[in-house]
Amino acid sequence: MLAAGPPRARLGACVVFFALLVAALPRPGLALTLTDMTGRVVTLAAPPQRIISLVPSATEIIFALGGEERLVGVTDFCDFPPAARQKRSVGGMIAPNLEVITTLTPDLVIGTREGNRYETFDQIRRLGIPVYLVHAGNVGEMLDAVGRLGHLTGRADAVAPLAARLSQRIHAVSTAVKSLRRPRVLYVLWPDPLIVPARASLITELIGLAGGDSITSAQSGDYPRFSIEAAVARAPEVIILADHGSGTGMQQRHQWDRLKSLPAVRTGRLHSVDGGILHRYGPRVVDGLDQLARAIHPEAFR
Amino acid sequence: MTAEARLARVLIALGLGLTAVVAAALFVGSAGLTPGAVIEVLAGRATADSTERVVVLSLRLPRIAVAAIAGGALAVAGVGFQALTRNPLAEPSVIGVSSGAAFGVVVAQLTGGGAGLGDTFRLVAFGLAGALVAGITVYLVATTQAGFPVPTLLLSGVIVGVFFSAAITVITSLVDINRLGGIIHWLLGNIGPVAPASLLVFAVLAAIGVLLILLRARELNVLALGEESAVQLGVDAERLKRQIFFGAALLTAAVVAFTGPIGFVGLIVPHVLRMLLGSDNRFLVPAAFVGGAIFLLGADTLARNIVAPAELSVGVITSFCGAPFFVYLLRTRYRGGLP
Repeated sequence: MLAAGPPRARLGACVVFFALLVAALPRPGLALTLTDMTGRVVTLAAPPQRIISLVPSATEIIFALGGEERLVGVTDFCDFPPAARQKRSVGGMIAPNLEVITTLTPDLVIGTREGNRYETFDQIRRLGIPVYLVHAGNVGEMLDAVGRLGHLTGRADAVAPLAARLSQRIHAVSTAVKSLRRPRVLYVLWPDPLIVPARASLITELIGLAGGDSITSAQSGDYPRFSIEAAVARAPEVIILADHGSGTGMQQRHQWDRLKSLPAVRTGRLHSVDGGILHRYGPRVVDGLDQLARAIHPEAFR
Repeated sequence: MTAEARLARVLIALGLGLTAVVAAALFVGSAGLTPGAVIEVLAGRATADSTERVVVLSLRLPRIAVAAIAGGALAVAGVGFQALTRNPLAEPSVIGVSSGAAFGVVVAQLTGGGAGLGDTFRLVAFGLAGALVAGITVYLVATTQAGFPVPTLLLSGVIVGVFFSAAITVITSLVDINRLGGIIHWLLGNIGPVAPASLLVFAVLAAIGVLLILLRARELNVLALGEESAVQLGVDAERLKRQIFFGAALLTAAVVAFTGPIGFVGLIVPHVLRMLLGSDNRFLVPAAFVGGAIFLLGADTLARNIVAPAELSVGVITSFCGAPFFVYLLRTRYRGGLP
């Protein structure tokens, strides 16, 4: 697991940390010198009014906070909420269109190291547009991202209610499964090649909160490749197949059904969850957590 | 028609062609600027920090410069490799030198990321090391007593290319999934606006590479008669070949470091120009530079606009043009091997 202590204590620590952080953020009105979530210093002439999000998770958070008025551009992958589709797209995450970005005259671009390229940040900075990087590898950082994006979009008031709602949902799920035995879980982010969540990924923490024990949680990095043999050797009791749209999760079921030695296969415990929710750190992560907990501990949700 | 008159005509045509593609690249783009707005900016009448000014001066102009230099450099590298091997199908991507450079640059990218001048030099240095290793390997594998016969050279190039592609695949299998998209994007060959200081470095490297080849163009003409005749005519063939090889490898490495591997420019452009100009390298080298600039800038302008606001990778376009052209050459002109 990511940190010592029962899930509840960790959550409490997250909330305290997050509250301190909110208190430490500068108030709008003056030139702002901020530190983004990767430790880079970002200087803004004024609180941003025209923001482009190159990160689907950040787009979701901004909409959930009601800060979308200041959002002038998103990527082709920013498909939630549906209203995000109405925003002007600047292209994909890997190579957004710099001309479109320029014509939208943004005063801030929100990016991520997970999916954007540093060349893109460099090109955007040279156009005189500051770039603020977000990142979340666990629930605490997700709540941190909510707080930061709330301040950047002038929706600081909406942060606490949203964070409280998210924390409550997480707490409810983790309480429901707390006393149950923790089965060994294999989470299949991508089947071929097999890609799994590792130590530094949000999904690993969510599996723990959902009452499971991820068999890949000790791997380094966030989403490494993993050998099927190693997965078989660890005898997962539950296999969770991430769905990337149109039922792709369960379509790979037959690949796993052949591995009859696996406890999960013998007991038919293969489940599909919505990867579109779980592989982002937007507010819907709590729905993803719910799906995970129901897959790992169906008995707790009857 | 005399050689001079033919040269003059070709130069005029190249000049017009370059003007046309530069104009297209300046005026067309997904920002949807009006021609009037672009002219205002070029005339220096746009207000500072206006969108129009940023789009034209900070996005389109640097990109035009990168495309033109890269295209010119690749075409001259093609002429260099062709003269060196006396084999008209030799080209950086066909003979595996691009793959070697790409491997070097990917290693450099993964062992440190950044966009400063130091990073630029690191990328070029790693790319050059990869290009030299690949080039020397192909040279050693393909050399026969009869020089570089087409099949041997092509096969050696393919094999060395496969080896370095495999080496790149090893890296992409181990790299974090979040960085994979960026590396694949780079491997497709893409042109972007480069910072002014890096652009200057690129221009200087390209100039060095072109001069290394251009200044020996006369001797390359003699080499075309055969190595023995060249030696009899007082050419130090070994030294000449080393210099040409280094120049062409430097050009390839510099382009790969700045744009990723872009194939076939060094094949198409010299061939078309040889049909127009003949094979005098003194004319061919400068003409190839301009022709390469026209071709790659045209291809990049297409890549930037045909699926706007998304973009295609320019390497895809050059390969779509280059692969059929290669087949055409192989089936028509070099059917039974070389004369």
